[in-house]
Amino acid sequence: MTFSQSDFPNIKWSLLTFLLVLTLGGSAVFFSQKFTHKTQTSLFNAQQQLKEARNRLNAARDDQANMSDYTQEYSAIQRLDIIGDEQRLNLIEDLDTLRRRNRVIDFKYTIAPQQIYTPSPPLDSGNFILKYSNMKLQIELLHEEQLINFFDSLRHDINGWFILDKCSLERVSSTSAQLKADCEGGWFTMKNRNAK
Amino acid sequence: MSRKILFFLSSDKFHAQIWENGDLGKPIYFLNSAEGLEQLSDFLRSHRDPTYILVDLIEEDFRHEVVPHLTGSNHHDLVQRKFEQYYRSTPFRLARRQRRQSDGRRDDEILFSALTNPSRITAWLELLLLHETPIAGIYSLPHASIPLVKEIEYDQLLLLSWEKDAGLRQSYYFNRRLRFSRLTPLNPNTSFAEAVAAETARTYQYLQSLSLTPRGELLKAHIICHAQDKELLDASLPSNNHIQYAYIDMQQLGKRLKSKITFTDSDATPIFLHQLAIKPPRGNYASAEHRHFYFLWQTKRALFGLAAATALICFIWSGFAFMQSSGVDAEIESLNLQSNRIMAQSREITQGFQNDIQNKDGSIVTATDMKTAVTLFRKLQLYAVPPQKILKELTSALDSFPRIQTTKLSWQASNLPGSSYPSQVITFNGELADFGKNYRSALDYLDRFQLALTRAGYMVTPIKLPLDFSSKGSISADIREGTDKPSEFSLKIIWRPQE
Repeated sequence: MTFSQSDFPNIKWSLLTFLLVLTLGGSAVFFSQKFTHKTQTSLFNAQQQLKEARNRLNAARDDQANMSDYTQEYSAIQRLDIIGDEQRLNLIEDLDTLRRRNRVIDFKYTIAPQQIYTPSPPLDSGNFILKYSNMKLQIELLHEEQLINFFDSLRHDINGWFILDKCSLERVSSTSAQLKADCEGGWFTMKNRNAK
Repeated sequence: MSRKILFFLSSDKFHAQIWENGDLGKPIYFLNSAEGLEQLSDFLRSHRDPTYILVDLIEEDFRHEVVPHLTGSNHHDLVQRKFEQYYRSTPFRLARRQRRQSDGRRDDEILFSALTNPSRITAWLELLLLHETPIAGIYSLPHASIPLVKEIEYDQLLLLSWEKDAGLRQSYYFNRRLRFSRLTPLNPNTSFAEAVAAETARTYQYLQSLSLTPRGELLKAHIICHAQDKELLDASLPSNNHIQYAYIDMQQLGKRLKSKITFTDSDATPIFLHQLAIKPPRGNYASAEHRHFYFLWQTKRALFGLAAATALICFIWSGFAFMQSSGVDAEIESLNLQSNRIMAQSREITQGFQNDIQNKDGSIVTATDMKTAVTLFRKLQLYAVPPQKILKELTSALDSFPRIQTTKLSWQASNLPGSSYPSQVITFNGELADFGKNYRSALDYLDRFQLALTRAGYMVTPIKLPLDFSSKGSISADIREGTDKPSEFSLKIIWRPQE
């Protein structure tokens, strides 16, 4: 059996009906699939939103439980002038006070301009910008114990937080000092991005 | 069930009957004249249903042949050769493969048949084609009767029927396979029973002459008739040693074929027409050209069917998708409500612990920032380890080894693999005193010092030893020299923070 062009009028209405139904049906299926996909995406988003809300609630509950600890620790960090701008004048005054206490025979320091601090390995600093003022120290000592005490005072008697990076201790043949230390570290501060 | 148009053609009559749901309408006769053709044209204009033509003509020839078993184009070529040999003058010819022999070459048994006088049908057929009538096929009555004998288990069977417009039809079946058939017009002065008796005897003689019925074998003659004629026939047709008569009740046969026709006499035409409508035989005399409009009609039906199936599938598919989605909408709404409720709860908790802590610039500290600052500061404690902690164990070890003197000590924070926080790399330069040339003792002392450091938690790697005893090193000494020169060494010591 073969078709010829003259047969087309015989089957045109059935063919057109089929094509019309195919187009309409195909469109209905296409749009229903699109609608289903959209709904599934909305469902997924709603599930994610619920998951996130639950996480936030858990975090809020944890925060609520730990709030008294955080408050105390935050206040202590604040008192040390670690949060906010660097208080360099206070720092110099405190270093002078330390010098007068004669913990070591003598020491010299050089503080460089403040820079952005990137911990290595890196840490998530959240809403805070971390800063660091490099300080080089040359210390004359009678014995090793003085170096330990000096850094102990630097940590506890001065408002600020010093991170010691490296130190070198060497015997010298001088009239007064037995040992010489060359150390390097920096004064650390962190500032909230939203702060003025 | 659908509607069908059934035409019946005999030697001098042509009529149409409409078949619908098992019932057969009244016959509409068309005269073999210009007027009759005009009537047929009018009929065809108003009836577009599939058409089946049943012919019951004397001029139908049958030839039973045994041919080699062939397939595909070889079989087709063989059939065409046979047609050209036997039935060159007619286009209405048919070859039915009846069976394949079970022994020998396993040849095919084929029944060739043809309507040998095409002019009987041509005029009607041309008019049908002119009106684009969907002709399903042109069937002959003997071929249409084949399904009726399928249930009669008898080797030699003669089926007799009377068609009012044609005459007495006798079809001979061997093992339920049609061999030949003959039509005898009935004389109006002869009764049905008389005609049957006379024609059956002639047919038996004919079969004998062809040696189709072995001598002494019984021929079973089945007569399709109305119940009221049965008794009359039974009385007139006594069975003998050669022929045994049996009767098929037309009404019961019709009932078995699910026909709704009520039979008033022994005319079997309606039975064969009904049989043709419900189950037409496999082959027929119509060519592809004759069936062209039926093929188009089938295509149209198929397209409408496909359209309906497509519409149904698409409707179910999209309906199911929309139903599923509407169920999901309710779930989304419920999830959003839950999320909002939980978020409100979180806000309530967070606002509850908003406190009075302010930065020096007066800004309020949020709980999150407070937590971040504290957590960060806790972690940074491990980045700024006081020297006391780093050197404590080293100092203790040195106290236990007085013959080791420190010449230089340095340390530096370093990010080593395997640790989340900075480690301290200590370089220790020292001297071993009071060992003279007792190298073995000095090296043993240094080994014990290193071991003590390792036990204290450091990782110790010698950088320089007092004397290189390895095969790769070079050694020189002044034997006359008797002074105790201190032996210098250097160690790399790693301190890791306790996380």
